[in-house]
Order: sequence, then C-alpha cells, then structure tokens
Amino acid sequence: MCALALLAWMIVRSAAPRDSAEVHESTDSRALQAALVAWTLAPEPTSVHVTAAFAPAARERQWLRALARAGVRVSWSRDSLPATAIEVAERTDPAGGVRAYIAAPAGTRATLSDAVGLIDTIAITPGANALSLPVTAGALDLLVRGQHARAAAPDSILPRQVVVLGRAGWEGKFIMAALEERGWKVSSRLRVGPNVFVTQGTPIALDTAHTGAVIALDSSAAQYASAITTFERSGGGVVLAGDAPLAAPLRALAPGRTGTRVAAASLAFASANPRRALGFFPIVASAGDAVPLESRDGRVVAAARRAGAGRVVQLGYDETWRWRLAGTGDAPAAHRDYWSAVVSAAAYRATKPASNAGPAGDAAPLASLYADLGAPGTPPAAALSITPGLRWWMFALLALLLLAEWGSRRLRGAR
Amino acid sequence: MTPTFTFATAQYESGDWDSAPLVPPNIIDTIARYTEIPVTPAGVIVSLASPDLLRYPLLYLTGHLPVRFTDSERRQLREFLERGGMLFVDDHNHDVDGVFHKTATEEITRTIGEPKPLPNTHPLYSAFFKFTDGPPTTSHELNGWGDNLVHKNLFAVMREGRIAVLYSSKDYSSEWGYHPDSKRFQSVDNTKFAVNIVVYALTA
Repeated sequence: MCALALLAWMIVRSAAPRDSAEVHESTDSRALQAALVAWTLAPEPTSVHVTAAFAPAARERQWLRALARAGVRVSWSRDSLPATAIEVAERTDPAGGVRAYIAAPAGTRATLSDAVGLIDTIAITPGANALSLPVTAGALDLLVRGQHARAAAPDSILPRQVVVLGRAGWEGKFIMAALEERGWKVSSRLRVGPNVFVTQGTPIALDTAHTGAVIALDSSAAQYASAITTFERSGGGVVLAGDAPLAAPLRALAPGRTGTRVAAASLAFASANPRRALGFFPIVASAGDAVPLESRDGRVVAAARRAGAGRVVQLGYDETWRWRLAGTGDAPAAHRDYWSAVVSAAAYRATKPASNAGPAGDAAPLASLYADLGAPGTPPAAALSITPGLRWWMFALLALLLLAEWGSRRLRGAR
Repeated sequence: MTPTFTFATAQYESGDWDSAPLVPPNIIDTIARYTEIPVTPAGVIVSLASPDLLRYPLLYLTGHLPVRFTDSERRQLREFLERGGMLFVDDHNHDVDGVFHKTATEEITRTIGEPKPLPNTHPLYSAFFKFTDGPPTTSHELNGWGDNLVHKNLFAVMREGRIAVLYSSKDYSSEWGYHPDSKRFQSVDNTKFAVNIVVYALTA
C-alpha cells in the first residue's frame, strides 16, 4: 500500500509541471521579475498569464517571449492599463528645444518630467497633444495613471543662417525683422536699383555649411536660380514667396504654378484666422509630389515638396507685413512664429548628438506589449491550475482514500 | 506690380503738421529717379490717431509749432513703433531752443524713449548713397539760421537694433521743400539723403 501511495505521489509530482498554469498579478516590476525567475527554474509551468496593472518593461517582455519560445503558453490581460505614447523631435529653431507629442486617453491628466524634475501637467484632449519645450534635460518621462512612457532626448539642431533675396520692400524688411527677433541669423541681398543692392551679412554663401534656408521674395530672385537650385539639391531649404515662381528658372523647383493674384477682401484682421485678410497668389497645377499646407476657400496658399535632398515651400502671400502691423492681438509674435515655422519646415537640419539623451525607455509601453506578446488573452481555467499547495492536498486525499480502503478491507470480516 | 512704398505724412492735432507740403512729392520724385522701388505717385496724409497709420511703415512728421500728442495719438504711435514702423521727425525750425524741438523730443520720449545721437557710421549713411561724414548739412545750417549750429549727428530711438524714430534738427523740411522740377537747377541734388532714409526703412 505504501508502495502504491509512493507511486501515486510520483505520478502527481511528475505530471504536475506539465499540467500547471501560473497566473500572476504584475503589481510591480520586481514582483514580475521574481515570478519570471520562478517560472524559468524547473519545474516550469505549461502556461503563464500576466494580469498587467502596468506595462512590463522591455527586459520582462523579452523574458516572457523567451518563455513562449521555450514552449510555455504565455498570455496577458490588462485591467486599467492606459494607452500612452510620447514622441520627442528636435525643433529647427534658433531658440532650440524640442517638441513633444503626447498620446494618452482623452480626459486623463498627464505629467511630463525630465532629469531635473516636473515640467508640466497636461490635461489630455482628444486629438494631438503637442508641447514646445525650450529647455529639457535628458529623457522625457510621461506619467499617466501610474504608467510611465519615456523618450530619449533627440539630437540638437545647429541652426544655419537664412538668406533673403529679392526686391527691397516692406515684405522683405518685416520677414527679416521677424526672423531676427526669433533669433535667426539673417543675411540679405535686396535689389533697390539696376545693379544696386543693399547687402547684409554674407548672402552669397549658398551652401549647407553656412545657410539653412533661402527665401526668394519675388521673381527678381530668378537671377540666383542656379545657385538656389544647387543649394536645394544638396539639402538646403527654399521658400518661394509671392510671385517668385513666376520666374521660369525658379518654376522648376516650385510645388505648383502661380495663379492670378487674389486681392485682399479687406484689411480687417480677425483674430481667429488673420491671414484671411491678406492678398495672395494661389498655387495651381501642383506637382504630383506637392503637399498642400494651407488652403483658403478651396485654393491652395502654401504647399511643399521635396526635390533632391532639400525641401521647397511655396507661399502665396506677398504682404504678410500687413498682418504684423495691423493685426489684432499680439500680431507681431504670431507673424514671427509663422515665419519661423515656414523657415523651419524647409531648412537644412544639421544636427549635433544630444550630450545627455538620458536612458532609453519605452516610448509607447502598451503598443510594445502588443508587439511583443500579441493581443491580450484570458487567463487559463482555474480547474487546470495545479499549484504546489493543491498538489499536496491531492496527495493527502489520495493517501486518505487508500487508508480508508485499507481499513475497510481490514474491518470487513470483523462484523 | 504692387506698389510697395507710399510716402506718408503724419497729421497730428496740435501744431502745423502740414508745414512742408512740397517735401513728399520731392522725395517721391527722388525715389523714382534713383531707385527701382515701386512707389505710389502721390503721398498720403495719415492721422496719428488713426488705425490707418499701421498701413504705412515709414512716417514723416514735421512742423514749427509745439507738438502735444493726444492720448489716442500717443497710443497709436507707440503701437506703430513697437510693431516695427519707423518715424522720421524733422524740426522745421532748425532750432534746438525752439518750441518744436523741445515739445517733439519730449513727446517722443514719453511715447517710446529718449532719442540718442546716432553714430555717423550707422548703416543709414551707406544704405544707398555714401555719406561718409554723417548727415548732409543743409543751407539753413550753413547760413546760420535757426539755432546757428551745424548739427553733427541725427538722433534716434532704437528698437531691436533698428531705428524706430529718426530725429533731425537739420531742417530737411526746408531743404527739400521745393518742386521736383527745380532739381535740374541744382548742381548737386540735396534730396539724395532722403533715398537713404527710405531704403534703410525698407531694408533694415
């Protein structure tokens, strides 16, 4: 009988690992790591299930993947794990800094921190949540309902000068003023008479070592078309403003043809969309690779395209200075931001590796979890779970039953 | 082609803002004569208190009499200057002891800041024609009228590295106050400095 009991125990013991399942509530990284260690050491379970209160780190996800590759059925489910993501991109702006794009469930509150400490608390709205951060230290950490997402600091941009070419006029003057006030270094060569130019800085250095972008104010810039084209093909940015693409040599670069000028309907600058009060040259017959950037009443005002290694932005406006002077609110600041953004969109990006990028982390933890472990599943049925404790209880029950059977047989003749 | 430059004369409630009516056509003629800057054939008069001020980024102001801006004139002018406009003020009295100079500089100081001497090496003096000795003298200075001084410098209030207010005690308003056709009787065109002021305003 003892031999029978021993045999039964050995059967249970040998069969247990192959039929066992583990369900783990991952409350913190250390507990999950401990469970992973236990699952990995013999006897390993046939299936494990992680109920994630937080998204496991990359190391733990890889460990779970390794278990799956070793034949263990790995599944996971989540309770209230928020879908979060953070993306950080450098700004092509003389002020430097980064732009952080944040995704999280709408209505939640997120905190954004860097190596120094808390930067901001953000109420997440539906759609894009983007922040411009002039100064950051190391990686950015996004925290939403206890879930961290982390993105390393990007390389920083080395801004180059902006060269302004065209006729002397208020548009050129106020574009230069706006860019300089935003910190751009501006060189210019403005025509005031036949072979008479007013020059500022070193506008002839049309190469990406010195210049990030060229602004052609009007068709008179066509005389530099060859240099502008070479510059653009080598990675430089070009902004073709007003009627500049009317000049044949610049037309080949432009995202579209320049249509007949639409006069300003009025000079009343509404605060909601102040550029509606400006006259413009519509962009017609766009090139196949052109991307419209701004439209008015179905007509494209701004478009961009890549040609060679550089980028070209075509802007139909030729009197944005009126917005700066006569616009409502802080129109000069809006005008500065607009022109800085236009130049940034086109400008050549020379980068310097981030000196303190910070430790790498999961920029989108939940998405990484899906990528590594697939879609969430249900935990294994409880009846199939044979834990070590249950195993001993079963053995005890079996031994008790054997004892009862033995006793029954012994006492059968006693009556 | 869209006209890009319109000469604007400032009208203010006090004083004699219209004391030099021949200056605008003379300067317009000079701009058209020496440059290819598209220029509106006739100048405009714009009230300092009017929002229309913000349509003309270069403004000319002169007079003989005391200048006292109203609150709305001062507010509008400050807005104009802070947004990047440039004001050229010329003392038609050519007299630093005169009422125009004393009141106009006081009003400018109250509005945007105190005018300071402009170095004679400033880019204004090489914006188009070269004036290596600084601002050109006027016949009124040389003939001893007004304050009997030859003013070595113009004055300026700077904003963001640019001239916001250019102040002259040299009486260019008298010097340039003649019909444009009379230029042919002069051996040297004395309005050339006006080209520098306009070109500087348009390019700096």
